[in-house]
Amino acid sequence: MTGGPETADVVIVGAGASGAAAAWALSGHGLKIVCLEQGDWVDQSSSPSLDSSWEIALQTVFHPNPNIRAGTRDYPVTDDATPIKPALFNAVGGSTIRWGAHFPRLHPSDFRVRTLDGVAGDWPVTYPELEPYFDINDRMMGVAGLAGDPANPPRADRPTGPLPLCPATRRIAAAFDSLGWHWWPSDAAIVSVSYGDGRKACNNCGPCGLGCPRRSRASTDITYWPVAIRGGVDLRTRCVVTALKTTSSHQVGSVAYVDGDGHRCEISAGTVIVGCNGLGTSRLLLASASRRHRTGLANSSGQLGRNLMLHPTAIVTGVFAERLDSHRGPFATSLYSQQFYETDGANDFIRGYQLQALRGQGPVGTALGGYMHRLPWGETHHRQFMAEFGHSVSLTVTTEDLPEPVNRVELDRDRKDAWGLPVPKMTYRLGENTRRMLSHGTAKAREVMATAGASEIIVNPLARQAGFHFLGTARMGDDPETSVVNGDCVSHDIDNLMIVDGSVFPTSAAVNPTPTIQAVALRAADRLLHRLGISEGPRA
Amino acid sequence: MTASLLSAILDRLLPGNSEGWPAAGKLGLAPSVGAFMSRTPEGAAWLEVVLSGTAPDFLELTPARQTRDLKRLEAAEPEAFERLVVAAYNMYYTHPEVRGVIERLTGYEARPPQPLGYEMEPFDEALLVRQKQRAPFWRRTGGEA
Repeated sequence: MTGGPETADVVIVGAGASGAAAAWALSGHGLKIVCLEQGDWVDQSSSPSLDSSWEIALQTVFHPNPNIRAGTRDYPVTDDATPIKPALFNAVGGSTIRWGAHFPRLHPSDFRVRTLDGVAGDWPVTYPELEPYFDINDRMMGVAGLAGDPANPPRADRPTGPLPLCPATRRIAAAFDSLGWHWWPSDAAIVSVSYGDGRKACNNCGPCGLGCPRRSRASTDITYWPVAIRGGVDLRTRCVVTALKTTSSHQVGSVAYVDGDGHRCEISAGTVIVGCNGLGTSRLLLASASRRHRTGLANSSGQLGRNLMLHPTAIVTGVFAERLDSHRGPFATSLYSQQFYETDGANDFIRGYQLQALRGQGPVGTALGGYMHRLPWGETHHRQFMAEFGHSVSLTVTTEDLPEPVNRVELDRDRKDAWGLPVPKMTYRLGENTRRMLSHGTAKAREVMATAGASEIIVNPLARQAGFHFLGTARMGDDPETSVVNGDCVSHDIDNLMIVDGSVFPTSAAVNPTPTIQAVALRAADRLLHRLGISEGPRA
Repeated sequence: MTASLLSAILDRLLPGNSEGWPAAGKLGLAPSVGAFMSRTPEGAAWLEVVLSGTAPDFLELTPARQTRDLKRLEAAEPEAFERLVVAAYNMYYTHPEVRGVIERLTGYEARPPQPLGYEMEPFDEALLVRQKQRAPFWRRTGGEA
């Protein structure tokens, strides 16, 4: 037997939205690529949506908060110091297993925030540079939508046509029209007709966050991963990476991990790509501190873990006298408004927000309130239930969060997970600009609901269980003094270390980030191939 | 004693009425609510906080006085009480008898979302007639098509 650790050309940490896209883009070129994923495969063919207790699953094994879900592959998060709680999923597919699949792109202006509005920083990449990767990603994920939105640049025809509105969302659309405000059918990572490898058209069932037995709703375990594995990528599940080990001040040499049987393993890597989201990536790099890198790996700027952005969101719910059957149809993907998306000098805040329609929920979700309010117990309970169930529709006010160093991810040195790693600790507070934006957006959403004829309007000023978007904690930039990675997602400090998840966002924009995360990851993989002398230009 | 006490509490949280809604305790939900809460050590402790926090003579009180006692307990132990309410709502609204009432009163089918789903009509582009008349209003930064 020869000794020494196993060797790979590329080791990817995390098999979620970004890791899957990067793995696919790098596959098929003769590289030995190993992906280490903490979680396991999720069998979506036996989704809880097939069972009468499906709503209990949403409160337990599919709860978005790992502290509540407490699955065997989860790590806890110390969240006492943040009003917005963590929401993520550990599995092949990552949080795309648990998402609603709303699929908007950042705007061109989102990449030029400093230049246009004098705040935060510009991105070192532009919308036109990412556009071909957005298009590739749309085809790989399978998207329903309609080109022609006047709030966004022209884009290619969507791979499948838009998902329909329902009685509830038609009311909202009509209200936007009456007010003279923008709305458009959502781009959704859900296919409206049969698509690709055995994916059936959406059948309007509703709870996308439980996984999709028809495979209509995209998640990277059914989109990128089957192709990447056929292309030779070695995906290893239930492998918890515990540290990245360096061989010099500027090179990472190996990845240490605990496999599914509890064995401690190590694999040498020519390049390491980290895609564990803006929480897990900071945690891993901070936990990889050594004598060479005392404040964590890739942290000479001191920015690692800082500038956490979470898209603070208010929810405004309209209750209508008429029965709307609003539980029917994908929960999060019907229509959005970007009327108030761009900076407007007349406002008392800079940047902007998106309004996104949310349909109603099932009986348990209605009673518990979901993102809204819990119904009262006691004698009035059933009357209130009947007033709201199937009679409500909501608008989110999703705000652009500006980067602030005090908002951050650190290691909680007093707590360790099942594998001996320090638990990540979130510290976060709302900025004044965000508060003003939430207030403005809530008023506008109330106006929509009133125009739509709501008999009651209920406001949740800040959705707590909604920390789905961890952004900014390893931001990209041209200056190594103020950023962690460059525009190609390569660490300024460590030549062969890349970060490809939402950590690298210098600014958050005001839309769901996954399409942009994946476009950035695809481009970063392309740039790596170029540096390795393997290919140039985006893969068709 | 514990089961009968929890059952009585559930009857006050989700009482029956003349529309056909069953009372949660009489529906026999106490064991499943207890099991839901006891999935974790913290949950079991919260359940104990609620059960031990009610008035000693709770079972003998009138419904109105039981409700007042629970409101007192909710104010004193909000986190534990909230966990009980969450467990009760989960078990109640997934019970077949309750789903049957919902179906009768609202038309919402007492079946899981899949595999049947719901009919999905094509998107009606006529809805967009006003929006399509609008000129592009995104901010240009240079280099876009």
